Amino acid sequence: MLEIRNLRVKLAEEDKLILDGVSLAVPKGEVHAIMGPNGSGKSTLAYVLAGREGYEVIGGEVRWNGEDVLAMEPDERAAKGVFLAFQYPMEIPGVATLTFLRTALNAVRKKRGEAELTTPQFMKLVREKAAALAIADDILKRPVNVGFSGGEKKRMEILQMAVLEPTLCVLDETDSGLDIDAVRIVSAGVNGLRSKDRAMLVITHYQRLLNYIVPDRVHVMAEGRIQTSGGKELALELERTGYAGFKSKAA
Amino acid sequence: MTVAATRTKAEQALARNFEAVLPRLPGGRAVAEARKAAIGVFAARGLPHRRIEQWKYTDLRGALKEAALPAAGPAGEVSARQLEAALGGLASLEAHRLVFVDGAYAPALSGAAQPKGLEFATLASALARPDGSVGGEPAGSIAPGQEAVVALNTAYMTDGAVLRVPAGVALDLPVLLVFVSTVGEARLLTTRNVLTLGRSARATVIEAHVALSGAAPGQANTLTDVALDEGASLAHLQCALAGGDASHLSTWLARIGADAHYRAFQFTAASGLVRNGIHAVFAGEGGSLDLSGAFLGRGGEHIDTTLVVDHAVPRCQSRELFKGVLAERARGVFQGKVIVRPGAQKSDGKQMAQALMLSQDAEFDSKPELEIHADDVVCGHGSTAAEIDEDLLFYMRARGIPAAEARALLIESFIGEAFDRIEDPGVRGALFAVAKARLDALSQTEER
Repeated sequence: MLEIRNLRVKLAEEDKLILDGVSLAVPKGEVHAIMGPNGSGKSTLAYVLAGREGYEVIGGEVRWNGEDVLAMEPDERAAKGVFLAFQYPMEIPGVATLTFLRTALNAVRKKRGEAELTTPQFMKLVREKAAALAIADDILKRPVNVGFSGGEKKRMEILQMAVLEPTLCVLDETDSGLDIDAVRIVSAGVNGLRSKDRAMLVITHYQRLLNYIVPDRVHVMAEGRIQTSGGKELALELERTGYAGFKSKAA
Repeated sequence: MTVAATRTKAEQALARNFEAVLPRLPGGRAVAEARKAAIGVFAARGLPHRRIEQWKYTDLRGALKEAALPAAGPAGEVSARQLEAALGGLASLEAHRLVFVDGAYAPALSGAAQPKGLEFATLASALARPDGSVGGEPAGSIAPGQEAVVALNTAYMTDGAVLRVPAGVALDLPVLLVFVSTVGEARLLTTRNVLTLGRSARATVIEAHVALSGAAPGQANTLTDVALDEGASLAHLQCALAGGDASHLSTWLARIGADAHYRAFQFTAASGLVRNGIHAVFAGEGGSLDLSGAFLGRGGEHIDTTLVVDHAVPRCQSRELFKGVLAERARGVFQGKVIVRPGAQKSDGKQMAQALMLSQDAEFDSKPELEIHADDVVCGHGSTAAEIDEDLLFYMRARGIPAAEARALLIESFIGEAFDRIEDPGVRGALFAVAKARLDALSQTEER
């Protein structure tokens, strides 16, 4: 269970609050969507959950399975099952995708006290998952994300998710920059990972993604806090009304 | 024009020690005369200092406080096991091994005296030849700024490898020249190698300059004179790992014949002050060269790589790629000069020097120079100095890779691009293993 209580966060070097009392609970087995206008703090929430530097938490707490996540380093959080699918995945020249995946998986397994996978075991695992996401073998040999199109990068994020098998998946605007086909493939990948042991937070601008990844609950975020929550119909309502009711001034 | 400035303590010692050591140095009358002329050249110029353009970032005169005495008496002891330890990743490379201990050839530690296809003689024996085929001055041309260091090499050289690969011969294995210094007092080690490849000959020669753990910080001056005949192909590598507070001056002079290919690579992780100078001249059309390397600096180390490539004739291609990783207060220097002479049309020269700065106090000086006198050429250069990308680090950590491991992976991939220039996978793997071991040691240092 992910429990966020009254989280208040500002940029380390500024005074303005970006998250102004976010409270949210996502039980295992559920998919929650966060929608909201630009500047609402959605991506900040995602980064704070993953442990990116540059933010200062000045109030509230985040608990994952009862443990204080904010006290952990990013790699510790990964070992606890936290995964952030980046909105802008990074290119790592000189580090082959397979090497990256294997290093990450073995690091996480090691922290959990599990044995590392042998190379043949690992290759089998990766090839299976890659095939399901229509990712060709030769792409796996290339450096991480280097020269990949937007769609390929997003599919690569989902491949990483499939390989690392996290239990808290935060998807930050996974659909941005994707065409319909890519949205379908990515959504199928995400849906394939839904399980009763997994909690998912899908952050998006647009309702369209939620046709494919149907949420159990929808939260509307604006001005640094959750303004309202509802079922999946809330997303459709927002399509009609827009975010105007939630914004005070131009964002 | 040289100003006869007040000589420093080290400069006076270098001139004075020569007289004492000359009787012991190999070679007949002609060689002795050449040595005397050389010390005269040195005495007139003194050690290079920062007001000389080619030494502006490396003040050798200021840095060398004392001049170590040349090795006297027999070479120190080296066991086979100590040698393997000193060689690290290179130890397991299958190669023709020729070992020099404290500047003198050590047959007991070396492989077969005449490896198949290779003509080998020690410099010491070659200098003693009455035919004077191996003389005092190197055959390769000396670039401006190299005169004093080369003169010191000519004056003091004790031994080294004289290798010749006859026309049409492709050596089956790389040649590994090992120069190891042992425990004992700090010494001046002066060695010279002569590499000659006949028409269409092919070879790989690796120079490893290593020290036994606990070896005293020495001063090394090594020169390799390379001549590639038409169509020949040489992969020439250097691994400089001497420890202690040493100074290591390395000079490579290469003459590249028509359609010949010179592929040079230098890995440097030595302490103290290092100056790697390479002067390559295209003597025939259609030649090509690749000068690449990686250097790791920590503490107060100073690593200077100065390249001069002379497109003296048309239709030749040169490529340079150097990567440096600098921690603590280390200083890296890259000077890359490309000269395209009048009439050297269709010259193609590209150069790139990059540094990864692991601390606020590290410094990287990069000075490209393009002197172009022809109008139908393609020349370019680039240089970057950057810190480890924090966003990349976060991305990797967010995937579960601990910070130290993520940093190491990023640093390895950074220098890996230079190592990719080494064509032979066995040689590349061995040298990268040496680099990786050094990187692991460097990763222990504090960031910032």
